Amino acid sequence: MSIKKEGGKERLKEQKKTREEKLFSKDISVENANLYYGDFHALKGIDMYIPAERVTAFIGPSGCGKTTLLKCFNRMNDLVPGCRVEGTFTVGGEDIYKSKDVTSLRKRVGMVFQKPNPFPMSVYDNVAYGPRTFGIKKRAELDEIVERSLKQAAMWEELKDRLGKSALGLSGGQQQRLCIARALATSPGIILMDEPTSALDPISTAKIEELIGSIKEYTTVVIVTHNMQQAARISDKTGFFLMGELVEYADTKDIFSDPKKEQTKRYIEGRFG
Amino acid sequence: MEKNSIKEKCGKLLFAATAALCIAAAAAIFVFIIIKSVPALAETGVGEFLFGTTWAPDANDVYGQPLAGSYGILPMLVGTLVATVCALAVGGTLGFFTAVFLSYYCGGKVKAVFTSVINLLAGVPSVIFGFFGIKVIMPLFNALSPTGNSSGLLLTSVILGMMIFPTVASLSKTALEAVPSAYFEGALALGATRDQAVFRTVVPAAKSGITAAMILGVGRALGETMAVVMVAGNSPQFIGGLFTSFRTMTANIVLEMGYAGEVQMGALFATGGVLLVFVAITVVLLSLVTSDKKTKGRGGKRRGNFLLNGRRACFAGKVCGFVSAAFALAFLAALIIYLLVKGLPHISTQLLFGAYEYGGEISILPSVAATLMTVGISLVIALPLGICAAIFLNEYAGSKNPFVRVIRGAIDVLSGVPSIVYGLFGAVTFVTLLGGNYSIAAGALTISVMLLPTVIRATEESLRAVPMSLREGALALGAGKLRTVFTVVLPSALPGIIAAAILSVGRVMSESAPFMFTMGSSIQPMPEGAMSGGTTLAVLLYYLSGENLYTDEAYACACVLMFIVLLLNAAAEVMGRLLQRKFQGEKNVNKKRGRKRALERAKENA
Repeated sequence: MSIKKEGGKERLKEQKKTREEKLFSKDISVENANLYYGDFHALKGIDMYIPAERVTAFIGPSGCGKTTLLKCFNRMNDLVPGCRVEGTFTVGGEDIYKSKDVTSLRKRVGMVFQKPNPFPMSVYDNVAYGPRTFGIKKRAELDEIVERSLKQAAMWEELKDRLGKSALGLSGGQQQRLCIARALATSPGIILMDEPTSALDPISTAKIEELIGSIKEYTTVVIVTHNMQQAARISDKTGFFLMGELVEYADTKDIFSDPKKEQTKRYIEGRFG
Repeated sequence: MEKNSIKEKCGKLLFAATAALCIAAAAAIFVFIIIKSVPALAETGVGEFLFGTTWAPDANDVYGQPLAGSYGILPMLVGTLVATVCALAVGGTLGFFTAVFLSYYCGGKVKAVFTSVINLLAGVPSVIFGFFGIKVIMPLFNALSPTGNSSGLLLTSVILGMMIFPTVASLSKTALEAVPSAYFEGALALGATRDQAVFRTVVPAAKSGITAAMILGVGRALGETMAVVMVAGNSPQFIGGLFTSFRTMTANIVLEMGYAGEVQMGALFATGGVLLVFVAITVVLLSLVTSDKKTKGRGGKRRGNFLLNGRRACFAGKVCGFVSAAFALAFLAALIIYLLVKGLPHISTQLLFGAYEYGGEISILPSVAATLMTVGISLVIALPLGICAAIFLNEYAGSKNPFVRVIRGAIDVLSGVPSIVYGLFGAVTFVTLLGGNYSIAAGALTISVMLLPTVIRATEESLRAVPMSLREGALALGAGKLRTVFTVVLPSALPGIIAAAILSVGRVMSESAPFMFTMGSSIQPMPEGAMSGGTTLAVLLYYLSGENLYTDEAYACACVLMFIVLLLNAAAEVMGRLLQRKFQGEKNVNKKRGRKRALERAKENA
């Protein structure tokens, strides 16, 4: 009786372990994805594989569906009324639209928005928000997480003396990096960035690009950008979107030096968009 | 995780339930008033009640017996309507022109000062308006009256007009400022003068908003009770002229509820029912006016039908704007200075902290205690309910949801119901429920229902001011909706919610009609607990000003009440501004700057 039980326990443990391993994988694959906003067909038959621990950039003119696709990966589209998603999205080994657990998905997939959106609380509380959401209450543990996240975001030195100050007092660039630190605090395997530098000055932009280069060592980054030089500078792979379709998806150096499709070429050369 | 989703569902259900409570409250008011008035209507006949010209109730009339008195409210119906129209003529005109002045002819500090003046006037308790009416304006008018007594239509119109003035002015101002500056610039570019651009382009574009402001003003005038009772003279007869005594429906209720017989009581409830019908009409009109997007399509037929047309006429409009604004400022200043001069010298320690003796020394201490208890109890009830309902409306419900529409309708109705009708409602529900005796608890429960729309609207406004990106940020970190609401949205909206609380305190302090038949209809001694009767400060002022024995004490009491209420309103305004500053979105800044620039450009052009 007891042996059986123990065997069962062990099997359960093993199952759990493989599930966890799967969840810790950091890649994304999309199969035949279609998305509708009411009657509007916003994403048309997207298939793509986003590799782990690389930077993948989405480029394309406004309204081409790149942000829409990005927001599918952590199901932020659920907030849009009348939004319907078809197809399979496997994020970190899990079919995310089959699972009901949106919160744990968002813990594993962090997001940084176009405009910095620090909460109106202290720097510390901002970074600790995610961990606290998932039940971490011990001060020591939180301290450690906050320090680690701010160090990862290369802000520890500038902020360590003002952790208790309101985050709204920081400059725009600092606020955005704080938001990245906040996203890093839940140790996500994947971070989604929706035009993270479009509201910032060139110097802050350079800092954030540098930051992206350092966090890709342990995290997958998917970034939407309007700035093609930025895509070329920081990404490993680039996808070009047009009218809801993925026109071309390849290694960044290939896409910028030798685009296969006429539309990609015209866009990259700046003839439209 | 399962546990979390259950928690989320429970939260949503709880919020929805509190919002649904508004529907229940609005329905309950109608149902109880109707139930209480049907027997009386059956006894007198609906036609005889509505169109009978004599109101001579007999307190001994009971149901099922032949009636000795007669119960026709036509004189009071006419009185209410005429007084409302005259008040609109005074307050509506003043309000409109002041709004034009504020939005297009002044800026910076002048504008800030006048905006505060309007907000402060909006907060002045109606008993103070009435008190000011009998003590200051009436003696002035007495000289004009052939009988030497000027209580009647003219005095009532002026007082009621000044009471609806802030409503009309601030809402019209919002409507005028919402007109795109491109219209204004377009008119200037065609060679219109500044005045013409304002009166021929901007004002017509803001028409629906201004009409809505007028309708809300009408609603307030219809339902006003205490100030009218003090200045109208109150004989139940048809209006005979500017200086003859007349009675409104609200006054009818407040004057006779205290000692009414069975049928008489029913007839008073029926009077309340007629008021409710008027409220329903204004709410429907309002929703028609504010949703007239559909009717805009018929454009073609419209001809240049402007309020003012030529250069001179428009210039005259501008002058009216200056005069109205100056008049409003002068009125508030006169009110404050007069009360200060007359009241301050009589504020003594006996008055503030002494013992109250019947027929002897007056003290406001029992009233202060009763007021504080009422404020405390009603806040504990109304704030959580109102905040939860606002959370449901703003965070959970889509605007197209039919359930939400019904809730919004119910909130509109609740905010339109006259305070005296709340008094009737409280008398049949809470007083009965709490054992049939007048008590502070019953009064507090009544005013809690009345506060709901105030709290809900103010909270909703502050929730709307919280940027969407903050919610997205929290959700993207894996926080559930409840956690997002409680850790990010509510704390961000805190100044607005505090403002709502302060406004509510001011409202409880300044209301008097709902307390007359729930907390005691004569001056009460020191309350022993929530279950004993009480007299709030505003009600005390009403009683004192009715008896000519305690004039000095009445002034002192008015002084105290006025300044507490004004302080509270000023505090609420400051909190509101704090909230704005907290999230001063770039949009707003740009809009303001854009307008300023446009005005500067306009000045050069003109």
